[in-house]
Amino acid sequence: MKTFLKGAVLVLLVVAAGGLCTFLYFIPPFYTTPPEEFGKAMSDAAPTVTDIADPAQRAIAERGRYIVMTSGCIGCHATNGSQGPDLTKYLAGGAVKFQTAHSTTVSRNLTSDKETGLARRTDDEVKRVLRSGTFTDGHVVEGSVMPWPVFSNWTEEDRHAVVVYLRQIKPIRHRIPEPVPGNALTVPGAVEQDYAGKDYGVKEQ
Amino acid sequence: MMQNPRFASVLAIAASSLALAGTMILMSPRLAAQPRGKTVYDAHCVECHGPTGHGDGPSATYLVPRPRDFSTGKFKIRTTETGSVPSDEDLNGSIRRGMYGTSMPGWERILSDSEIADLVAYVKSFSTQFTAPPKPIAIGDGVPSSPTSVARGSQVYDRLQCSKCHGTDGRGAGAVRTDFEDDHEQPLPSADLSEPWTFHGGATARDIYTRFRTGMMGTPMPSFADAASDSDMWDLANYVVSLARKPVWSMSAEEVRQFYTAKDAEAKADPVKRGKYLVETLGCAQCHSPADKDKHVLPGMRLAGGLVLRIEPFGDFPTGNLTSDKATGLGNWTDDEIKRVVTKGTLRDGTRLLPFPMDWGSFSTLTPDDLSALVTYLRTVPPVVNKVPPLSKPLLPIYLWGKFRMLILGSDPPMVFFSGNAGTKGAH
Repeated sequence: MKTFLKGAVLVLLVVAAGGLCTFLYFIPPFYTTPPEEFGKAMSDAAPTVTDIADPAQRAIAERGRYIVMTSGCIGCHATNGSQGPDLTKYLAGGAVKFQTAHSTTVSRNLTSDKETGLARRTDDEVKRVLRSGTFTDGHVVEGSVMPWPVFSNWTEEDRHAVVVYLRQIKPIRHRIPEPVPGNALTVPGAVEQDYAGKDYGVKEQ
Repeated sequence: MMQNPRFASVLAIAASSLALAGTMILMSPRLAAQPRGKTVYDAHCVECHGPTGHGDGPSATYLVPRPRDFSTGKFKIRTTETGSVPSDEDLNGSIRRGMYGTSMPGWERILSDSEIADLVAYVKSFSTQFTAPPKPIAIGDGVPSSPTSVARGSQVYDRLQCSKCHGTDGRGAGAVRTDFEDDHEQPLPSADLSEPWTFHGGATARDIYTRFRTGMMGTPMPSFADAASDSDMWDLANYVVSLARKPVWSMSAEEVRQFYTAKDAEAKADPVKRGKYLVETLGCAQCHSPADKDKHVLPGMRLAGGLVLRIEPFGDFPTGNLTSDKATGLGNWTDDEIKRVVTKGTLRDGTRLLPFPMDWGSFSTLTPDDLSALVTYLRTVPPVVNKVPPLSKPLLPIYLWGKFRMLILGSDPPMVFFSGNAGTKGAH
């Protein structure tokens, strides 16, 4: 009887260890989820523009939506919940922390929130960041953090469409810390992107 | 008042520190001559223009046009004769206003007047050319715009053969060439004259007249001061102003619809151009080109792959060679194979990629036409032999331990971008 118990415990332990390893191996289910679902999640998450009354603005915003979607803004400007990116908080930021030789920067809130989002900025100010990485206070975000040198290749009209679309994103209050000088790099000279699924936004009561 | 010993000591300390500061400033003339300009420059300008003003900052590689190399003393936007350095007012104006249609923003509302003045002095210190004084041109009142002036301008446009670079319609139609390079052999397409909001130095007739008259130094746009009379150049300026089309932000709903329909038709007619635009705006080259420590793409290695991203615990990911080389690039891939990687993250041999760093989930939302255009463009990228090593995955126990740390212990693994080329470059 004793040996049987011993054996049962052993088997249980092995099964538990094996189970944990299998769980760790397959989670998150990047390799088991069909590839089509990743794309569907991307296009479903981007809010549609049907609410816009003015037909000209609607057509422009539709093009902006396409550019925002294909350019993968959500890749950094997502908000993480407990289960990874929470796509219902579209573009509310805080999912990624960048560390470079000079500074630590968290992806910003691009929703139309008046206090923590893009509603604080004029169209020209948003376009200036998209074209030259230069913020209202004069700081220039590094091109290896926010790929504005890539987006500077947009025509002025496409950039306008992006801004028109971003203005339609429903406001979500999510304060993002300002960039700070200094870093905690593990590889000197490299650019590091922390992606572990945390929320790097400011915790507010 | 002096009876108060505390006040006296404060005064003494203030006076002595003032004297000390004065001595320090006098003893270091360099510090006194340009401390503020350098401070302002280092805070706002190095990302593009580089620490030594050579136009080679970490973000310079991807910008069209490239940031100005101040060491040459050649500037595009001047009110001075061709061959001359710009005046202080010219530099001041360019910093203040920015350069429309480029990544140079206007600093008017960000920097103070004195900061901009200090910056002008500092920018001039990068080049020895400024020892010669600028030779300003006198700009008259000009020829007011009228249908006859515009018609005369159109004839001047033909006579000076502007269409060779800008096309008969100002948009490149029938042009001999539009894909030019600047003095540093960096790409510089000829300006689309129907889009005045992209004219770097402004779009008034006076601005345009000044560009003809002085030329845009460092670019293929010469000065026409010797080839045309003053009134010819004003007529030409009026004609160019008349070429302006309506920008999308001023269009009615019907005009917007027609505009995008025409854009789609244009993209279909010239998929290489559309594909190039997509590759440039989706940032393919930012990961698929190896770069040095200063973030400059290694010479001749654009899109040749070999940049390494380390993603703990998933492994080291060298980016693929996207050039048309048959052995090491995409030359032997079928269109469908390329599209499958871009939209489904699945390699030729069936290997699945993670949904990062290559964001194929987002790329899968590209329309079929855009996807085809992208492939069509990649086919035209000149072949570069660069054999990129395969993805290196960690050993299973290390992988599981990494996942455990990340998912259970909540550690924060970084994705690291390395400089240098991990591939083996070969001769073609």
